[in-house]
Amino acid sequence: MTTPPSGNPPLNRRQFLRDGARVAALTGLGALFGLAAPRVARGQKYVWQIDPTRCVYCGQCATACVLKPSAVKCVQSYPICGYCDLCTGYFVPEPNALNTGAENQVCPTAAIERRFIEDPYYEYNINEDRCIGCAKCVEGCTRFGNGSFYLQVRHDRCVNCNECSIARVCAGDAFRRVPAEQPYYLKTTAHA
Amino acid sequence: MKHPKPPLLNRRAFLRTGGGLAVAGWALAENPAARAAAPGQKNPWAYDVSAYETTDPALLAYTELRRFKVPRAEARRLTRGPDGRLWLCAGHYLVTLDAEGRPGQEIALSAPARCAAVAPDGTLYVSLRTHVEVFDASGNRRAVWEAPQARAWLSGLLATADTVYAADSGNRVVWRCDRSGRVISRLGEKDPARGIPGLVLPSPHLVVVGHPDGRLRLNNAGRHLVETYTPEGERVSAWGKPGMGIAAFCGCCNPIALAVLPDGRVVTAEKGLPRVKVYHPDGRLDGVVAGVEHFPENARASRGDTAGNTLNVSLDVATDPDGRIYILDPVAAEVRVMWPKART
Repeated sequence: MTTPPSGNPPLNRRQFLRDGARVAALTGLGALFGLAAPRVARGQKYVWQIDPTRCVYCGQCATACVLKPSAVKCVQSYPICGYCDLCTGYFVPEPNALNTGAENQVCPTAAIERRFIEDPYYEYNINEDRCIGCAKCVEGCTRFGNGSFYLQVRHDRCVNCNECSIARVCAGDAFRRVPAEQPYYLKTTAHA
Repeated sequence: MKHPKPPLLNRRAFLRTGGGLAVAGWALAENPAARAAAPGQKNPWAYDVSAYETTDPALLAYTELRRFKVPRAEARRLTRGPDGRLWLCAGHYLVTLDAEGRPGQEIALSAPARCAAVAPDGTLYVSLRTHVEVFDASGNRRAVWEAPQARAWLSGLLATADTVYAADSGNRVVWRCDRSGRVISRLGEKDPARGIPGLVLPSPHLVVVGHPDGRLRLNNAGRHLVETYTPEGERVSAWGKPGMGIAAFCGCCNPIALAVLPDGRVVTAEKGLPRVKVYHPDGRLDGVVAGVEHFPENARASRGDTAGNTLNVSLDVATDPDGRIYILDPVAAEVRVMWPKART
């Protein structure tokens, strides 16, 4: 008795190897596209930034950055600022007088500029060339005032190290990788 | 025969040592304690107010009778009704508490309650920041009063037999209304001709309280003043001074809450340095109810030692006809009942 011939001839070794190589090549190509596609679609680039709600004003931003002075600067949120005469981000806890005397200023580098607006309101601006990112003003403003002063990594200075040396020692674990298209946290409200 | 010299480190020992070092290095890098600042390391740029965080024991005039946890999260304000119940604004709820802190009536709201006041007939007025909702004594909503002006932030209410005062931090004014919500007059607005310097409010903490002398007390926090007004809006007097010291009001804007004792003394609460004090009607410091050291969790949050929002940590105060002072600490989520030491 003879066996009838099958519809599919048996696969020989050469065909098996050829098909196997094709499948492997296609799989590799698919994986390559799969990995590359989202990166191309989003144009992903990330930068370091400080989440102000986690900052505990530990002072490390001033000392741990590879840049001197640090790439971290105090920024001012004008919509939040109370324009106080007695600004606790500007003045030491018990100032002799509410004027621009160096002994009255909380900033160790006199990086905050105080400008009269109208009685009893003053505007406070940060001179970033002087700011060292120590957060002393941030603590005073946040503790007693509205928290309009806060720290941010300034990307015109930051060299975007793969492993940020401040993030490694940040006591509040406040450093985040954020998309380069939205590189800053913007504080817009002081009170919930 | 010369024996071969054994190697200093064979392959197995080399791998074992190297592996051990790699594991130790990885553990050190991942250890949060190693990443944070070294313990005890002093921040050279700290905003140091530690000298003001302890109170002279001679000034402490009150002792704690009891304390109880609040039954709802996000407690913000406290007031006392004519029937003796405490009304707590906590998140989207108004909750009554009895003298032992047991919750009773509860009213759900459509937005967070900012403050509340109870009229002598039991009618309840609640601010939801931009408008006031009116409830009868059974908790049924009877009316909604829209704010008279845009940008309203209604942060304080006072209800008397015929008048409701609404302190509007957003517009820096106190609205005097009749019991139907119609505005009769405005208090506290800048008016040099009448000797009114105007309210300065960097943060939304304007409150208005009644006084046994028939006048009103307002906290002009940006000027560090407690101001006295007649119900018609004439500014009679003001007292207070800025400073970190115990007799002064600290920071940029304090006091943030007021209450009045039956004998006319004024209770104040501050933020930044969380403390509660009592002043004579003329502004002399009478004593301290509770100092910074009595609010350790609140003080830590104020200092920023705990990550998170440090802006909603403000204490609130209320009083009763017997002279008890009730302090709401939103960080610890508890109410403390304080009693004068002189009467124990």
